[in-house]
Amino acid sequence: MSITLDQVTKHYAGAPVVNDVSLDIGDGEFFVLLGPSGSGKSTLLRAIAGLSGVDHGRIALHGRDVTHVAARKRGVGLVFQNYALFRHMTVAENIEFALRVRHMRAQARRQRRQELLRLVALEGLDQRLPAQLSGGQQQRVAVARALAHKPEVLLLDEPFGALDAKIREELRRTIRQVQRELGITTVLVTHDQEEAFAMADRIGVMNLGRLLEMGAPHDLYSRPATRFVATFLGAANLILARCTPDGVQMGANTVAAAERPPGVEEREVVAVVRPEEVEVAASRDALSSAYLARGVVNEVVFTGALESLRVRLEDGAQAPLLAQANGDAGASLLVTRTRHEQRGFEIHPGQSVAIGVRRVHVLPTPLSSFTACAASAALADALSRQPLLAELAERMKTRIAMRAEPQLGVPDAACAADSPFVGTTAIASQTDCAQRAEWLLRRGAKDLLVLPEQAAVPQRVLIHWMGEAARSATLAASASALRHLSAEAVYVGIFPEQSASAHPQHGMRELLDARSEAQLAHGLEMRTELRFGDVAQQLARRLAEAPAQMLIVGVAELTRFAERFRGLLDGGQWPVLIVYRGSP
Amino acid sequence: MSFRQPSVLPGFGLTFGFTTFFLSAIVLLPLAALALAAASMHWSDFVHVVLSPRALGSYRLSFGASFLAAAINLVFGFIIAWTLVRYEFPGRGLIDALIDMPFALPTAVSGIALTSVFAQNGWIGRYLEPWGVKVAYTWLGVTLALTLISMPFAVRAVQPALLEVQRDLEEAAETLGAGRLYVFRRIILPTVLPALLTGFTLAFARALGEYGSVIFIAGNLPMKTEITPLLIVIHLEEFDYHGAAALGVVMLGISFVVLLAINLLQAWGRRRHVKAAH
Repeated sequence: MSITLDQVTKHYAGAPVVNDVSLDIGDGEFFVLLGPSGSGKSTLLRAIAGLSGVDHGRIALHGRDVTHVAARKRGVGLVFQNYALFRHMTVAENIEFALRVRHMRAQARRQRRQELLRLVALEGLDQRLPAQLSGGQQQRVAVARALAHKPEVLLLDEPFGALDAKIREELRRTIRQVQRELGITTVLVTHDQEEAFAMADRIGVMNLGRLLEMGAPHDLYSRPATRFVATFLGAANLILARCTPDGVQMGANTVAAAERPPGVEEREVVAVVRPEEVEVAASRDALSSAYLARGVVNEVVFTGALESLRVRLEDGAQAPLLAQANGDAGASLLVTRTRHEQRGFEIHPGQSVAIGVRRVHVLPTPLSSFTACAASAALADALSRQPLLAELAERMKTRIAMRAEPQLGVPDAACAADSPFVGTTAIASQTDCAQRAEWLLRRGAKDLLVLPEQAAVPQRVLIHWMGEAARSATLAASASALRHLSAEAVYVGIFPEQSASAHPQHGMRELLDARSEAQLAHGLEMRTELRFGDVAQQLARRLAEAPAQMLIVGVAELTRFAERFRGLLDGGQWPVLIVYRGSP
Repeated sequence: MSFRQPSVLPGFGLTFGFTTFFLSAIVLLPLAALALAAASMHWSDFVHVVLSPRALGSYRLSFGASFLAAAINLVFGFIIAWTLVRYEFPGRGLIDALIDMPFALPTAVSGIALTSVFAQNGWIGRYLEPWGVKVAYTWLGVTLALTLISMPFAVRAVQPALLEVQRDLEEAAETLGAGRLYVFRRIILPTVLPALLTGFTLAFARALGEYGSVIFIAGNLPMKTEITPLLIVIHLEEFDYHGAAALGVVMLGISFVVLLAINLLQAWGRRRHVKAAH
């Protein structure tokens, strides 16, 4: 491996900017770190270059641990967005800088410089000053300068940001060519997904300091695992669907999924439909793909090669639910059509069309949507505006439904609504919260979010499960939740007091197993802690230790649930996500 | 290049007129009067006053101490400016404000304060005495006073230039393998050199003209600790206006030559860049 990052973490003013990033980049690979601004990608690149230290974790270059090695001894070449050329030096002096530092002879320096200038197609400009070059030429000089000392790794920090489109493309090609010719391992940081697709062997998508997903451009685009990647890499329609044995049921109609999603149980899922996978036709019979619904065209935008449509779904209660839109306003499906499609069927705003779907991808995330549940509609409405819930729904690009249960918490009372609980049910944290939670869990709620009135976005998430049956589901829910939070994950292992002396190694093994499963199955990096004593008591104590913490707890059985969780839930100041998966 | 260039401010004629009028009334006219007063002397009288051993001694001290003070401020002013620009620490605003104190203080006050501290029985002078180091009433004291009052010029000239040295230039150099000293020598220094020179010039000019603080700490021994401005005042007190004017003219001449030389040096440095750019 050329670059190996192991659990690299960097805090800034208390908040993690780079959060537990582990990554292997192979020899000669062109790796692109893609993410919005503030996602931590540049900080990570600077950490690899040695320009900023890390708080935790290790960095190795070609097997050599460089975590505590100064930038000048790491042997990397770095190219900055604003070129960072030495303005008082000529092109030749700039390029030879690294060689001069290494006391290379003038003759050899000149030779190497000519070689590099040829490589970046700037022959003959040796004696110019940076100010006399165009932006594109300056960046070429910067690339040549970064390569002069034959670094093992080339790092590019948004190198095309300040250039206009034409030059950008040209320079992209040059850099890709140079990279192939030298076979040098390269990491490029960018926020431009098109650039990432055009250049990368492999892309790593970052958000909120976390490396969310990694993969070849094509795989990431067609089979994203997270909502963020699905919507950040190109446009996507997110639809709340039901996963059934026959396929993916969206509204009244079922479409076969591209690949079977994991887990056989029937549940609510988030389906991704790319705009180009949507087909529109005059009638249902004219569709060549699976029928989804009817809709009215709201907007037609001509963008050159493609035509972009917004189609408002009809069919009332039968219509598929779009996840992005909270409430019904603005809920429209994004469609793009090629010239060929446009010629076959011309469309004008206001036209009614039949909509078909060619390909559906189901996200593995277990947290599909939220339902604010309370004793009355008014209370449910108030709960839906709770800051953490609203923020989560916004970040997850999903909707918050509302549900009134007047008998909530009353023993032996039945549900008022006869529809099943879907997605994550949210309730307010109050005095008899544990009892209400048990009531809901016994009536079909699987994922339950308990929210104190003032709870905000947490900075640390504690994870624990009771019973092996809930383990995998808890890890999946944690991974999904943490992708949307800039928080560190901590697995809290708790063992009965007496086992502390008897089987310490057993506890440690369980802890390590939990970590490796989180890493392998869910791409979730978490820290571990070991505690001894009563589970609910220890968790409550741990939560009270610091502000801005959240708990995700897995539960496999409900006997004496309210009694056991009273101390943890009733009037607690921390949000708790309960994941209930009974033993089969 | 044409004499007249388009600009956002209207009325080139008017503004240029003001410029020449102002410079003439405030700077050129008094200087001309000074030169005229000296010119009315007989040539041999002029030479006698200007080249008297006492006068020569005062030139040496005035220009030597000013040069030394400016040089000291070049180094320490740079360090102070660096600290203020590059580091974030509690009390930074206070220190930043403190820099300007010598600007605001009546120079006589600085002189008295320095004397009381560095006199043989002063706070610091007391401890220097046994080592044989005398500050007050020696050329050392003169240099110290000049350093104090010219310090803000050096700091304030370098500060904005340091702000402009981009961090990523240093980082780029670092990733290319350069050590700290190398980065300083090859990247930072060339960038702030013009500002350093300006700071030096300003500090030097300010020190040359200083009078108030020096007379308290210098002791004013003829040939030893007498600065030229003081000698001029002494001539004036003896109602020897012509002698004072003659010394003034010499001082003016030397100052002008030195400042012109530094300015030319700077212009030459700039031109070298521009020349390379064409």
